[in-house]
Amino acid sequence: MTFFAVEDLSMTFGGLKALDKVSFEITRGEIFAVIGPNGAGKTTLFNCINGIYPPTGGDIVFKNNNIRGLKPDRVAKAGIARTFQNIELFSNMNTMENIMIGRHLFMKTGLLRGGLMWGRRSFAGKEEIENRRKVEQIIDLLELQTFRSKFVGGLPYGIQKKIELGRALAAEPELLLLDEPCAGMNAEEKQDVVFWIKDIQDELGITILLIEHDMNMVMDISNRILVLNFGRPIAMGVPDEVSVHPEVLKAYLGEDDADDASGP
Amino acid sequence: MIDFIQMVISGIAVGSSYALMALGMVLIYKASEVPNFVQGEMALLPVFIAYMMIYSYGYSVFIAFFGALFFAMILGCFLEFAVVRRAKNPNILGLIIVTIGLEMILLGLVSWKFGADQRIMPFPISSYSSVMIGDLYISTMDLVTLFVALAIMIVLFLFFRFSKFGVAMKATQQNPTAARLMGIRTNRVKMVTWGISATVGTVSGLLLAPVIMEPYMMWNPMLKGFAGAVVGGMTSLPGAVFGAYIVGVVEHLFGGYVSMDFKAVVAFAVIVIVLCVKPSGLFARHYVKKV
Amino acid sequence: MKKTLFAVLFGALVVFGMLSTGYCEIGVTDTEIHIGQWSPQSGPAAAWGAVARGTDAYFKWINANGGIHGRKLVHHYFDDGYNPARTIAGVKQLQEQRGMFAWVGGVGTAPGLAVKEYLMQKKIPWIGPAAGSWHWVTPPQKYLFNVYPLYLGDAQLLVEHAAKKMGKKSIAVVYQEDDYGEQGLAGTKHMLEKYNMELAAAVPVAMGDSDMRPHAMRLSRSNADAVLLFISPVAASRIIGIGKAMNYAPQWMSSSTCGDCPLMIDITQGLYEGVITSSFGMLETGEKVGDLQHINDPKHKLVAEYKKDVYGKFAARDERWGYTFVVGIGLAEPLVEAIKRAGRDLTRERLVEELEKMENFRGVLGRITYGPLDPNNPLTRIGQQELFLHQCTADGGSRILTNWIETEYIPMGH
Ligand SMILES: Nc1ncnc2c1ncn2[C@@H]1O[C@H](COP(=O)(O)OP(=O)(O)O)[C@@H](O)[C@H]1O
Ligand SMILES: [Mg+2]
Repeated sequence: MTFFAVEDLSMTFGGLKALDKVSFEITRGEIFAVIGPNGAGKTTLFNCINGIYPPTGGDIVFKNNNIRGLKPDRVAKAGIARTFQNIELFSNMNTMENIMIGRHLFMKTGLLRGGLMWGRRSFAGKEEIENRRKVEQIIDLLELQTFRSKFVGGLPYGIQKKIELGRALAAEPELLLLDEPCAGMNAEEKQDVVFWIKDIQDELGITILLIEHDMNMVMDISNRILVLNFGRPIAMGVPDEVSVHPEVLKAYLGEDDADDASGP
Repeated sequence: MIDFIQMVISGIAVGSSYALMALGMVLIYKASEVPNFVQGEMALLPVFIAYMMIYSYGYSVFIAFFGALFFAMILGCFLEFAVVRRAKNPNILGLIIVTIGLEMILLGLVSWKFGADQRIMPFPISSYSSVMIGDLYISTMDLVTLFVALAIMIVLFLFFRFSKFGVAMKATQQNPTAARLMGIRTNRVKMVTWGISATVGTVSGLLLAPVIMEPYMMWNPMLKGFAGAVVGGMTSLPGAVFGAYIVGVVEHLFGGYVSMDFKAVVAFAVIVIVLCVKPSGLFARHYVKKV
Repeated sequence: MKKTLFAVLFGALVVFGMLSTGYCEIGVTDTEIHIGQWSPQSGPAAAWGAVARGTDAYFKWINANGGIHGRKLVHHYFDDGYNPARTIAGVKQLQEQRGMFAWVGGVGTAPGLAVKEYLMQKKIPWIGPAAGSWHWVTPPQKYLFNVYPLYLGDAQLLVEHAAKKMGKKSIAVVYQEDDYGEQGLAGTKHMLEKYNMELAAAVPVAMGDSDMRPHAMRLSRSNADAVLLFISPVAASRIIGIGKAMNYAPQWMSSSTCGDCPLMIDITQGLYEGVITSSFGMLETGEKVGDLQHINDPKHKLVAEYKKDVYGKFAARDERWGYTFVVGIGLAEPLVEAIKRAGRDLTRERLVEELEKMENFRGVLGRITYGPLDPNNPLTRIGQQELFLHQCTADGGSRILTNWIETEYIPMGH
């Protein structure tokens, strides 16, 4: 069975081919990284997987189902969560609430029953307790305790990134897409993130599709790497192969390490 | 002094129907970011449907009112689903024009189907009885309206604070992209929000109808509700309610002490003053919305 | 060569056309007389739309009975939504594209004012604007014949009745902020001056305002024991209702505008019982003072006939039989009468001549009298000046309080 595969995926904006017949497959449990210079089409790839953009060609298969063209909420329901290169939090809510929204999929209580929540032993009450327990676990894991009831809008960048990660984890995904989780962080923070990503893979058993700029980090944690340039895949393989690939070296030589700002 | 108290009481009485309209408008503003000028007519049509259920089909007032509320829910959802959502590259001006167009269509429909004759909606409580407290009076109908309005506000606040849907709505409003990625069906959230808004407005319409029903009955409450919503900052439910009561009370004090001639338009002066002093409205909470 | 042929053909056509109609008055053919009218069939004033529908049914009834001197009345009425811009556009269009012989009725002071200039300049007769306004007779115009009594008269009768007959000590007035309300206010002030009384309160009602609580409160604080209403039926119903809730119970009195007892009893849920209103027709007065009548069972012979034949046969199924509908007939009666009197050779000048000769003509309204145009005498165009009072009963009936009373004309700006 195919866990996750992208086949001949293409995406054009006007005349611009942001993705040009990209194919790869991820096996369950691995950390798969996508690298490439600014504007290579990495974020666009995520947006296509998520259903934010409808791809112009190709297929996306998740657990043997073609999920290409599904709406974002459907993709989320299928078990794929993500974080954004530019943070997309609910800035007028606190940390707890943000992560809690990640549990939305697990709140079965609909309009009516939600209104009939009479105390802890009711169905809705039990559900609520279970959800809170999960959220607390995530808060502990990511060491976010001190920010629990702070509005996220005013928190430091690194913390916001963590909250976003927490929110994605709250959805209990099988596949987690991380778009430059270390962007804008200092070396120490980056180190932390590397640990968490490994934890997530090991302890929670979540498969990770990662976009990252920082070559060292990518080499360090990825099982396999795909290199994109101008929307085209130019290399794919284990870190050692990819790092010596001539085209990759060429593509990366002219690249200054600036953060790119294009998001969804 | 007694006059002053009486004016404040009457202002609050009239403010209740403004408040319900204001709540409806804010709900929709939060969901679709448009001042909804079809708010009044989303209530008007269900009110006339209730009338028709009573007189043409012989249903009891109770059933007819529930029918109207149910119909309002469907109507609100339908307008969002069939019209508002279809707007291509919606900008605020375009959406305003869409709501004004809908307003004219629904008003035309009611005028055409029911004619211009004034009518009275049957209601268990007399529209003209009152409660006297010393020299102060408040009409029973006003009192009922006040309590119903308060009850609806409380239910709405609880609903949006604690229910799954309420959280989804808040998320949708703050960051639709992220909301969708959390599995929230933002389109459906918007649609249901329109339905809820129409239902809330219809409650106000049903409480006005026992005094007099005619196709233009919702126009004034809608405009004053809008004024209240703007005063409250357009995005805050408590703000809308507070703003609506302010408008009601100011109208009455102004009519009583300054000039009856301009009583009907003083609400718009209130808007201007509030916007000058606090451009985002009295209750607006600012949050940075990322795109 | 071609050009001359064209001219000859064209000339022949014109002559032929003239021969076939007999003569060349606009809007009159061998078999038809075209009459125009505007009215709000939609919009906030749509309740007044019944005026035009009344006229329409009346014309149809006349046509069904053979028309007038072999011609049928063709009624062109359009919906102006009480919007003067639409009134002028519609009138011009009908006049210039279809050619109206004359105009009748036309609801509202503002819409009427928008077209008055135009009609008068083009010398097109306009009979019976459906609003009692000074503007129709100040100054009198050759082609404009008023029928609807000025609201000044309503105020006179009501004040006189309250102060003299009922011995009310303190009178207040509630008036709509337009020509109608201001006339009521002016008439009231005029009469109070005469009786050396103070106006207890003058409370304006803005158009479209639906919250009458402050108005009712101001009235109750004034302690007036009689309140005159120069407002719309909806506003009247609201104000009386709130008055009731406040335990404020003066003698409510109203202009003919809120004089449709069945309607008013209905929309006030019975509170209109005992309210005194002026009226300018439909009920049988004369020796009938003290009599109880109901417009749904008219004692007035002509009204009864109209109800049976005009309303019964030519009104739409959901049309309400009431004052507004009948006023539409009453305003057109003088026109129909003058067309009859003018005979087969109908021209606008003949029509005006016949109208000017009209004296004490009575249809469903009061007596109508015009005179040869005197620019300094509004009475030559004012038509009806008499009114009477009646009082609504619980079942929507009317108790006749007075005989017809001739009112005084008070010049504008008094
Ligand atoms: N919504 C869009 N409309 C037009 N062009 C877009 C859009 N999103 C991305 N692009 C373009 O697609 C290319 C790839 O962008 P992106 O996927 O953001 O690159 P990156 O690899 O840096 O994440 C860029 O040239 C970008 O300008
Ligand atoms: Mg990117």
